[in-house]
Amino acid sequence: MDKRREFESIVREYSEQLYWQIRRIVLTHDDANDVLQNTFLKAWNGFDNFHGESKISTWLSRIAINESLDFLRRNKHLGSATSDDMSVANSLLADDYFDGNETEAMLQQAVAQLPDVQRTVFQLRYFEEMKYSDISQLLDTSEGALKASYHIAVKKITEFFKSRD
Amino acid sequence: MNEEMYIQEKVGKRNPFRVPDGYFDNLTAQVMQNLPEQPKRRAKSVFMRPIFYAAASVCALLVAGAAWMWHPAADGTSADTVQAQAVVQPQQQEESGEYMDEAVDYMMLDNHEIYAYLAEN
Repeated sequence: MDKRREFESIVREYSEQLYWQIRRIVLTHDDANDVLQNTFLKAWNGFDNFHGESKISTWLSRIAINESLDFLRRNKHLGSATSDDMSVANSLLADDYFDGNETEAMLQQAVAQLPDVQRTVFQLRYFEEMKYSDISQLLDTSEGALKASYHIAVKKITEFFKSRD
Repeated sequence: MNEEMYIQEKVGKRNPFRVPDGYFDNLTAQVMQNLPEQPKRRAKSVFMRPIFYAAASVCALLVAGAAWMWHPAADGTSADTVQAQAVVQPQQQEESGEYMDEAVDYMMLDNHEIYAYLAEN
């Protein structure tokens, strides 16, 4: 099969799944769309070097997550928050493409305050219910370290809500 | 209560994010439109080029050769000692030459001698 057509079928199969992984990290639709385009651009440029060492979905997710975290680092004022502001929750509640309630916006606020790894592990585990073994391949981190990160993330989010009850 | 259960009961797991109507229908076309016709090949770093390793090997050989050439003077050997060594060397060479001749004679067994030796043992 022609290489470009092969890649097109990969885009068709995985773009929606990758979009949601990215969206949960960068939070807004426009940013998620930009990061998704960059993800596929990087994947296309590296397509010749992909020889099936891992599953294609894992390879793409790894690029998507790295691109999302890079985006957050470049735009520190977006999608991340300090413990004393509610800017993320307020932005989401004003966003046309967010139809969650205040508690759901608060959860995104609490997640945005976590360090990168805890934040990513929480999104993948809590919302996507991904296995630790799969997350381990994605983030190139041991399962034990991921379980610890998830446990700490859950604890911090619980404290966040309890302190506001 | 388990902390994860606390979050689930308080917030749930619903996806609260939405996308514009028809976004996923056009996504593949939009992504493909933004890609260059051919993948952009990354330029090889100088460290990846064979010529780099060839040049590095030649330099290493030159440095090693220079160090070996200059070694006698560099290890504090005086010119007198070098001359003395030069005088002594022919005698040593003669002695070692005799030893070598004996060794060669000793080792120069022809095939018949080898067969004889093997037959005896």
